[in-house]
Amino acid sequence: MSEGRAPSTASLLAALIADTFQEARARWLFWGLFGLSTLLIAFFLFILKIDVVQGAVSLLGIDRTSHHYYSLERVVRFAYSKVAMFLYVWETFLAIFASAGLTPSILEPGRVGLLLSKPVSRPVLLMGRFIGNTLIITANVTYLICSIWIIVGLKTKLWYPEFLITIPITVLVFAVLLCVVVLIGIAFESASVAVMVTFAIILMSAVLAQRDLFVKLLDAEWARQLWLALYWIFPKVWDLGRTISDFIANRQAEWFRAAWTSALFGVAVLGAAIQVFRKRDY
Amino acid sequence: MSGAFAIETEGLEKIYRSRLRGREIRAVSNLTLHVPVGVKFGLLGANGAGKTTFVKMLLSAVQPSAGTARLFGRDARIPAARQPVGYLPENHRFPTYLTGKGMLDFYAALSGMEAAERRKRIPELLNTVGLDGWSDVRIKKYSKGMLQRLGLAQALIHSPKLLILDEPTDGVDPLGRRHIRDVLNSLLDTGVTIFLNSHLLSEVEAFCEYVAIINKGQLAKEGRIRDMVAGRGYKLTAHGQPEQLKPAIAELGMGSIPEIGRFELQVTNRDELNHAIDILRQCGALIESVTPTVSTLEDVFIRTTEGQESQTSLPEQVTV
Repeated sequence: MSEGRAPSTASLLAALIADTFQEARARWLFWGLFGLSTLLIAFFLFILKIDVVQGAVSLLGIDRTSHHYYSLERVVRFAYSKVAMFLYVWETFLAIFASAGLTPSILEPGRVGLLLSKPVSRPVLLMGRFIGNTLIITANVTYLICSIWIIVGLKTKLWYPEFLITIPITVLVFAVLLCVVVLIGIAFESASVAVMVTFAIILMSAVLAQRDLFVKLLDAEWARQLWLALYWIFPKVWDLGRTISDFIANRQAEWFRAAWTSALFGVAVLGAAIQVFRKRDY
Repeated sequence: MSGAFAIETEGLEKIYRSRLRGREIRAVSNLTLHVPVGVKFGLLGANGAGKTTFVKMLLSAVQPSAGTARLFGRDARIPAARQPVGYLPENHRFPTYLTGKGMLDFYAALSGMEAAERRKRIPELLNTVGLDGWSDVRIKKYSKGMLQRLGLAQALIHSPKLLILDEPTDGVDPLGRRHIRDVLNSLLDTGVTIFLNSHLLSEVEAFCEYVAIINKGQLAKEGRIRDMVAGRGYKLTAHGQPEQLKPAIAELGMGSIPEIGRFELQVTNRDELNHAIDILRQCGALIESVTPTVSTLEDVFIRTTEGQESQTSLPEQVTV
């Protein structure tokens, strides 16, 4: 008979994370993400057949007589930064779509009641899903970015580890947006609404990021302050994407403030999600 | 684990409030219930009486509006208090992407079982519920009866001290029902407290020792089934000439005279019985037999839910 030994938080999280992986695999999310990443990698392998330097010269219109032509490093860094930006956008969008259903699925009637009857607290239950989901995306982002990095490195014989900054930034932005997905998923128990709200935040982030321009355009002081406040409150999806590009292209990148304010937004939203989840009846 | 009661609730209440209209629905009202350790306890109630809400409050899936719930003396809201509880929900939805073995392994891990323990226990339990050949088959291929049996295995996996079963045989064919009953019967001597929430009165009557009836969210009746259904009346069989019986018939208010001279009379208590015998004997009738009659749990349930019996006339608490 049961001795009343309460399971440790670590063992509960391990079980919940493993379950998230199993569900992602069964729903084809896991294979879908990795399949699309593999297709993208195959596409980059195909690009290996193109002469990168000559291609860049043609595409970017670099004058053969210019000193840029001889700056292979600059060309490759430029190409790297654009590829990284593309991968960042690709991964963020796909990851949000793939993850949207994973939280509402545990809230299905008949499933959540049984989960809650176990000696597991609601915050741990939610965190298990969140961490599992983030780990799936981290694995995929790492697979994709590292593969592309190796492919381009092999082709150019130039290895820029700065390219790998795309991994932590993409994972950070995804994790922050996942907090929104989780909150909306719990509040409305709908994957579609979660995706809509998350994309609205991404678009808002792009608009808010034009703060220098809008602060000049707005005539009322309160409007300018509101714009700036919103800019600092919302996650900086756009700015962090630009940071990747700047970092790889060896330009000055102001990533720290954008990163921690975005992370703070994520923590606050996840805290709200836990609070809502704790109070809900199932 | 401490506490003389497996389940204790004090003034438990749940009010659902509609946010838009501001309407209130009182699903459970001031429910105080004590389930002693080691008994088989049935919870009865009509659909919508508040049984499932009550069970969900015990397991913290629903937050009470007022009152307290304790499991083996510990506040039910504390996750560790649910460790000794095995639960089979009504209308469960197990993750269909898991195999039978995988599902048991997941819930066992959440119940705090070590991996080695799980590896040993899962095949045993699958064998007990008759699913040993299905351990590696995905749950989506299971029939309703198999799902119920798997659900029961899930509830038993960590050898709980309290087993809460919400409509365990609902939708199961007679064979599957018997299998579930056999598994439950095999637990009878293990000291496990079984809390059975069912609308199948015969099932509760056959299996449980104690019962509580909930009506409109309130505890309407509670006690030992044996006491509830016993001493409900007497059947009296008498014989006599129709002409002789006329005065007795009139006095007892029977309405018509039996043609063949033999008749049966149902009385509800000992006083009525003796009164009837006196009258019949005065009229020269011969008493053939007097048989005590017991009402079924169904009779008790119907009388209770229709308001013919109230909680106040009955003991407030089960004692063993």
